[in-house]
Amino acid sequence: MPETNSGILEIKNVNKSFGGLLAVNHVNLSVKKGELHALIGPNGAGKTTLLNLINGILHVSGGNILFNGQEITNLSPHRISHIGIARTLQITSLFPGLTVHENVWTAAQSRKKFFNPFLPARRWRDVQEKTEAMLELTGLKEKASLICSELSYGDQRILEMGIALSTEPKLLLLDEPTAGLNSQESMALVKKMRTMLSGQTIILVEHDMGVVMELADTISVLHYGSIIAEGPPAKIKENEEVKKVYLGTEDA
Amino acid sequence: MISNISIALMNGIVWGLIMALIALGLNLIFGLLHVINMAHGALYMLGAVAAWYLIELTGSFWIALIIAPLFVGIVGIMIERGLIRTIEDKPIITIICTFGIMLVIQELVLMIFGGAPRRIDSPITQRFPIFELQYPAMRIMIAFISIILMSGLWIFLKKTKYGLWMRAVVQDREMAVGLGIPVTKVYMWTFAVGSALAAFSGVLAAPIVSVEFMMGREVLIMAFIIVIVGGMGNLAGSVVAAVLISLIQGVGSIFVSPSMAMVFSLAILIIVLLVRPQGLFGE
Amino acid sequence: MSSWKEKPFGFTLIFGLVILGLVILPFFTELYYQTFLTELFVWILFAISFDLIFGYTGLLSFGQALFFGIGGYTITILTRKYGLGTEPGLLLCILIPMVFAWFVGYFSVKLTGIHFVIITIIFAIIANIIGDTWTSLTGGKDGLTFSPRPFRLGFFQINLMDIKGNYYFVLAVVALCYLILRRIVQSPLGKIFVSIRENEERARLIGYHVQRYKLIAFIIAGGLSGLAGGLYSLTLKYAGAGYLHWSVSGHAVVYTIVGGMGTLIGPVVGTGIILSLEHYLVNFLQATDLVVGIVLVVMVLLAPKGIVGLIQSRRKKGKASA
Repeated sequence: MPETNSGILEIKNVNKSFGGLLAVNHVNLSVKKGELHALIGPNGAGKTTLLNLINGILHVSGGNILFNGQEITNLSPHRISHIGIARTLQITSLFPGLTVHENVWTAAQSRKKFFNPFLPARRWRDVQEKTEAMLELTGLKEKASLICSELSYGDQRILEMGIALSTEPKLLLLDEPTAGLNSQESMALVKKMRTMLSGQTIILVEHDMGVVMELADTISVLHYGSIIAEGPPAKIKENEEVKKVYLGTEDA
Repeated sequence: MISNISIALMNGIVWGLIMALIALGLNLIFGLLHVINMAHGALYMLGAVAAWYLIELTGSFWIALIIAPLFVGIVGIMIERGLIRTIEDKPIITIICTFGIMLVIQELVLMIFGGAPRRIDSPITQRFPIFELQYPAMRIMIAFISIILMSGLWIFLKKTKYGLWMRAVVQDREMAVGLGIPVTKVYMWTFAVGSALAAFSGVLAAPIVSVEFMMGREVLIMAFIIVIVGGMGNLAGSVVAAVLISLIQGVGSIFVSPSMAMVFSLAILIIVLLVRPQGLFGE
Repeated sequence: MSSWKEKPFGFTLIFGLVILGLVILPFFTELYYQTFLTELFVWILFAISFDLIFGYTGLLSFGQALFFGIGGYTITILTRKYGLGTEPGLLLCILIPMVFAWFVGYFSVKLTGIHFVIITIIFAIIANIIGDTWTSLTGGKDGLTFSPRPFRLGFFQINLMDIKGNYYFVLAVVALCYLILRRIVQSPLGKIFVSIRENEERARLIGYHVQRYKLIAFIIAGGLSGLAGGLYSLTLKYAGAGYLHWSVSGHAVVYTIVGGMGTLIGPVVGTGIILSLEHYLVNFLQATDLVVGIVLVVMVLLAPKGIVGLIQSRRKKGKASA
């Protein structure tokens, strides 16, 4: 795994309050290029809020976020996307009435600079090739002409990752990809993720400890908006405080 | 000039109270069902037209005042049960559907009632002296009736089982379902009460304006303005906004033309929509 | 192997045949029907421009009447007061409403859902009141009449005072606009519009500046609605504040819903059916909108994808069982 001294994403002293309630409390976090950095913590610990602050769905109440050394604090989501951060949501977010192919296509063409209103979309060969490659990678090629709401839930989660990947991100934010899947489906998804996402820099929010322990290079534990522990999976497993606030309260 | 202004103020308050009734109905339906009822102005008109027939039949304005809203309330139940219940979770589709219902009601009235405007005579013809001017006592009566109806609505929402249920559904629909509140029934009654309020408004307005099949079109817009300025889902806000806006329009019309006064209040509405979409009195 | 399997040849053939049919039709029909069809073409343009903003981009705008009305006033006032020719006049029928659409849209696209619907109604009402009261410019309640000048393109000339000339002219403009709109919705830009309709948040997350693209759709739709208004005035030789009333936008809503939104061909079918129905009913029913209202309610409840949607799903079923 390539190691550099400073992270690709630097979160510095960021906090977020909702009407006096601190959901994210002076968080510092550094994500290195190429690593899969898992964020865990009990419900309401501020994991999703933190992701929302990174990609501009929410504005920070204080602090800075740097990406490749560039200030990206409070930029709007579409600009964050072009800077190179992609996102999947906890509740699957696709274009429900479009086919799988159209879903991927829409994301694949998003890196273009000019959207010619008089050119038939299908003439964009490069976008077409990119779309086909992504369908291949996600294994959804056979199902490309299905309306995406007809897909199984697991396939929908994979498609959403495919959409995120089609924007050619340098950092991928995944919000509970296994939410709503049974353990068998979860395992299949993790297997898929290993091939699809190799080499990507990822922040993964996840409840399923098995998934986290298997995939993560680094784990940060959030509790009441603060990071209480950070380190490789083996170390986090041993951490007494983490056991107390998190592992002990969950059925993991 | 003073007397002009005081008449305008009086008229503003009376008209504001009438508009508060229709706006309350619109807002109640929105707050519970999240349905923007484009047919609401047509229900107001239907109330006035029903009242005209009832007065022809019985000769009594007061009987009409009770029966017409009852009738429109039943129409409301039919609309909710028969038509919009299946699409209540799709706000844009309900707007289109209720727009169609508006057309149907208007055109049915046009066929039966005809296109010509008709008048309803005021049952009270006495006048009331204010500042050396004679103000129609009927208008003061209308204001009183409006206030009584609003108090009735308030008591209904605070003290009765249905009122409690309605407020619970507004607060948290899923929780209400969990608590065993019959939500679909609550929706039906909300639509009935909301429609009846529009009809009350129409009957009370009838002695002041003339009754015709298009009379609800402009009033619908007025009701929208009130509900947005007062805050969607905020009933007290609607009452305050209704009186405030019609006072401003009434007094404003002395100095500029009524249409300019209208443009002015519409411009205010756009600003409210952009700056405080939750309404002036929301939190 | 996947992707959009289109049969451009099939479309060209059908489109060509329909246009050919409409071109030879005036030789077999009375002037009365030609006037009816001319108006039908205008409403088709109005409906397909509405379909771009509603059916494709997902924004229910009741403000299209504003641009329709301004388009009507533009050609009328410019011809009447300044003696401007029809060619620059019609161009301005697109450009001036576009400027208004830019202004109205700038504020409106900041809002979503029902708030968007209401703000577009409000803008149309303001325009309607101004049109009604600014008598020196608009003729107030009476409106304005005028005599359009002939349309010239090189040696080619069409007399718009002649019903047949007017028919061909409107047919040509509307057919051209249909082709342009069809191009737009199939272009990469059109794909962005559809993505906004399907899921605004997802569109934003993959990097589209949603408000900007909504505004672009609004401006294009506004310009074409304005052109529809201009053609309507050319046909009736009249413009009035009634065109600006927000309920005029309701026509486009009805045609689009009945025919099938987000399909372009749907609004064409819807306009044809509803106007023919009205045309037929008017002989024995004063309240033709009654039937329109009933059709609208029934379609919304039973077939929200419209007639074209019904045909498509039937075809799909047929394929699946085959």
